[in-house]
Amino acid sequence: MSSEPIERRVSYLGDRLRANRCLMCGKEYFEIRDYCGKCGRKSYGKMVKTDLFFEKGTLEVCTLINEPTNKFTKLGNYIYGVVSFHDGRIRVPGRLTDRIMKCNEDIDFSALEGRSVVPRFRRRYSVEKADVVPTISLAFTFADEYYPHQEYRVTKPKKEYDLPGIVGYGVYTSRFRIKEDNIQRSVPFTDEDSITAAVEAGKLALVHSGIDSSQIGKIYVGSESNPYAVKPIASKVAQVLRLGEEEEDMQGVDAVDTEFACKAATSMFKDAASIVNYPKSDIKYAMVTGSDNSQAAPRDCPGGELDLFVGYGAASFIFGKRDVIAEIEGWYSCTSDTPDFWRRDGEAYPMHGGRFTGDPAYFKHVRKSSKKLMDKLNLKVSDVTFFVAHQPNVQFPVRIAKELGFKEEQYLPMLQVAKFGNTYSGASPVGLAAVLDIARPNDRVVVASYGSGAGSDAYSFVATDQILEKRKNQKLTVKYQADNPFLEYVDYTTYRRLKNGM
Amino acid sequence: MQNRAAIVAAGRTKFGEHYEKEPEKLIEEAWLKAALEVNIERKDLEACYLSDYFLPITNKLGLEEGFLSELTELHAPMEVTRSFSSALTNACNAIQAGRYNMVLVGGIEKMTDRWDKIRDDLMLLEDPWSYYAGCTPEANHELLLRAYIKKYGLRGEDLEKLNIALAQIAVKNHFHGSRNEYAQYQRKITVEQVLKARKDAHKPLGLYDFAPISDGASIAILTSENVAKKFTDKPVYVLGSSSATDYLTYPAREDLTHFLVTRNSIKTALKRADRNLWDLQLLEVYDQSTVMEMVSLEDLGFCPSGTAWKTVYESCKEYKGYYEIDGHKLYVNMSGGLKADGNPLGATGGAQIFEIVKQLRGEACDRQVKSDKELKCGCVLELEGFGTKGYTYILGRD
Repeated sequence: MSSEPIERRVSYLGDRLRANRCLMCGKEYFEIRDYCGKCGRKSYGKMVKTDLFFEKGTLEVCTLINEPTNKFTKLGNYIYGVVSFHDGRIRVPGRLTDRIMKCNEDIDFSALEGRSVVPRFRRRYSVEKADVVPTISLAFTFADEYYPHQEYRVTKPKKEYDLPGIVGYGVYTSRFRIKEDNIQRSVPFTDEDSITAAVEAGKLALVHSGIDSSQIGKIYVGSESNPYAVKPIASKVAQVLRLGEEEEDMQGVDAVDTEFACKAATSMFKDAASIVNYPKSDIKYAMVTGSDNSQAAPRDCPGGELDLFVGYGAASFIFGKRDVIAEIEGWYSCTSDTPDFWRRDGEAYPMHGGRFTGDPAYFKHVRKSSKKLMDKLNLKVSDVTFFVAHQPNVQFPVRIAKELGFKEEQYLPMLQVAKFGNTYSGASPVGLAAVLDIARPNDRVVVASYGSGAGSDAYSFVATDQILEKRKNQKLTVKYQADNPFLEYVDYTTYRRLKNGM
Repeated sequence: MQNRAAIVAAGRTKFGEHYEKEPEKLIEEAWLKAALEVNIERKDLEACYLSDYFLPITNKLGLEEGFLSELTELHAPMEVTRSFSSALTNACNAIQAGRYNMVLVGGIEKMTDRWDKIRDDLMLLEDPWSYYAGCTPEANHELLLRAYIKKYGLRGEDLEKLNIALAQIAVKNHFHGSRNEYAQYQRKITVEQVLKARKDAHKPLGLYDFAPISDGASIAILTSENVAKKFTDKPVYVLGSSSATDYLTYPAREDLTHFLVTRNSIKTALKRADRNLWDLQLLEVYDQSTVMEMVSLEDLGFCPSGTAWKTVYESCKEYKGYYEIDGHKLYVNMSGGLKADGNPLGATGGAQIFEIVKQLRGEACDRQVKSDKELKCGCVLELEGFGTKGYTYILGRD
C-alpha cells in the first residue's frame, strides 16, 4: 500500500484495524508488514493477516483531552488512551467515543483503565467541506455499555431453499436520544453519519447471519444523506466489512448506492433476491442497507417541520438462498412523478410539500402497492401476521394499516418511529427488523415502503424455522436499542450540534 | 578516541516569541555571538550542519540552506537535519574522519509563526496513528505517567509524593531559568501553582508540567582537536556520543513507561567516551514534560526504575541546586531545561550543548554551578518526537 496516497492507506488499515501475526514467534503488528521484526527474513511468507474489527480490547491507560488538536475540537472533551488486544500482544491508540463530557468533570482514570472496549467505526476528524471524509476504527466504547461485544462466528450453511430470502439482518442506531412530547428519536454522536451507520448495520447483519463476508457478491446502500454527492457509501462498507473475495487491497464485490428518498433500500430487496437466484450468477449473497442521518432544516427555517420527526439509523439485510430466515413470496412496486419532498443539489436540507405529502403521496402509493401485492398473492388480511409500513410519523402508518383492515396486533409491532424517529431509507427496514425480531416460523410479513418522489415497494415474507436459531446470534436487537439503560437524552441545542457532526 | 571534535564556541538567542525576526535573522544573531567569541569570519567555515524540525511547514522554507547562503554569501557545503543533536553527530563524524577542520552546527525553529496549527503539526509528525486517534502533544506524556503509576503500583502517599515530585521538577527548572538571561521564562513558580494548574485542567499534568512552544536559534562552532587551542583556551571536547531509534507509534512500543532510545544511547556513549556514569556531573535532559525528566533520570541509569520520584522528592524538599543520589551531586537542567528555557525543537539541543559548554568553562554567570569538585564532564540527552529518537552526548574539558 505504500505507494498509495496517505488518506487511502490510513483508511485501509485504520477502518478495519488490520493487523498481522508472525506464525514463528506470535508477535503481532497493527500495521501490515511482510515479515516479523523479531524473526527477520526467515519469517517472510509466514505472516498471517488478522484484524481487530470484531475483537474486544482492554483500555490500558487513559487521560482526558480537553484541549484537542484543531481537527478534533468538534468532539469536545474526550477520553483518550492506549487499547490492547490479545492479552497485550498488540496495542493501539484510541479515543472513547459516544460520551458527552461536562466541562469541569473530574475523572477517576483508574476506574476506566482495565475495562473492555469495542472498536467502533467513526469519522476520524473534521475536514473542509470539499475534502474526503476521513474515517477510522480507533474509536472505542465500553463493552458493558450500549454496544456489547459480539463475536462474528461464520457457520457452514445447513439448508438450501427454493425461494431466496433474508438470511440475516442488523439494525444500528446510536445511543443518544431526544425526547419531545411522546416521541423520542435517535441522534447520532458528532462522529457519526450515514456512512458509519451503514457499516455498523452491515457488521451486525454479518454477526446475525453467520455467513462468510467474502461470499457477498453485491452490496447496495440506499441513503438520502450521503455526505458525498459523488462517492458511494457502498464502497466504504465493502472495504471495511471485507465483502467479496479479497485480493491485494481490493474486494471482489459489486458495490452501488441507490437513491429514491425513503425507499432507496427497499427497492433493492427484489434486485438482491433476483441476483442470488439467477442460475448463472455466482453471487451467493447480496447485502441491502438503508442508512440515514435524516436531514431536516432547523425548526424556524423553511422545511423545519421535518425537524420534529427525523432520526438516525440504518438497517441492513443479507439476501440468499441458504439458511434463509424469511422467504420472499412476492412483490409489487408502483411509481408516479409526485414532488412531495425533495432536496436540490447543493442544498443542505430537504423541502417538503406540506399537506400535499399525505393523500396524493404517501397514502395513495402505500395503499396501491399493499393492495396489489395482496391481490396478486391472493392474501386476505387475516393471512398476514405482521404489517409493516414506512413511518415518517406515528399517524401515517397507523392510518394506512387501519384503512387496509389490519388490527393493532398486526401493525403495532412495526411502529418504531416513536422510538427512533424517521430514519428515512432505514425507516421501513427498521420496522421490518423489529417484526422479524419477534416473528415465529411460518409467520407472514407484508412490508410496504414509501419513497417521496414518489413510489412504494411492497413485499411479502414468510418466516422459516431457522429464524429462531439465528435469533440467538444477535444481542443488539431493535428492542434492545429502543429500551436500553445506557441511552442518553440530549436537549434541542445538543441534538442540532450532534446532528450537524464534524 | 582519535581526533575528537572540539566545541570552541557556542552562541544562542533568547528563546521565546520572536514575532519580528525571520528564522535566518535568528540564526545570524546566534552565529554572531559565537563568532565574536573566537574571532572568526564566516568564510572560515568549511561546512555547515543545520537543523530544524519543521521550518518547511511553519515558515514554508523548503531549502533552508539557500536562505542562509543568500544571507551570508556563503557557498560551503550545508546539510539540514531535524535536530541539533543529529546535525552535531554529522559534524563530529566529518571532523573525526578528517574531512573538515572547522564547521558550524546550527539549530533554528520558529514555531509561533504557525499560530494554533502548531499542535496539529507536532502531533501528526511525532506519532501519526495516535494523532488520527485523537492524541495531543501533551496526552502521550500523561499516558506515560498513568502507565508508570500502574506499573510500579503507586498509590496513596507514594502517589501523592510522585505528583509533588513532578511539580518540584517544574519549580526547580523555573528556578534555574530565573538565572538564565536566555530563558523563555525567567520567573519562579511554586509547587502550589503547578498542582493548581493540574487541578484546573482536570488532568494528570497541567500547564506548568509542559515545555512551551518557542522560537530561537543556537550555534556551536566545532574544530578538530589539533587546531582547537588556536581559537580558545577552553575547548570542550565531544568525548562520546550515541543515538538510538524506536517505533514512531508510542502505544505500539513494548514498554510504555520508559524510553528505550535513552537507555541504549547512554550505554554506548559512555563506552565510547570511556567514562563511568558517575563521572557525569552535569546533565541537560529533555524535559518536554516533568515526567520526561523523571523518567530520563531512570533511563540514563542514575536511579533504579520506578524510584526517581523519591530522589526528586527528597532532593527538592530543601533544594540545594542539585539532585542528591547515593551521596553524589547531580546538577540537572541548570539552563532551566526545556520547561523554563524553552523548546524551539531544532534549536533545543544547541541550547543544551551551550549550557554544558558554558558550565564546564565556568562562564555560566549567575547560574554557574559551584561545585566542590572541579566540573569536568557533562551530558546532554536530546530526543526527537516522543522518544522516537534519542541522542546522548558526553562533553568534557579533557
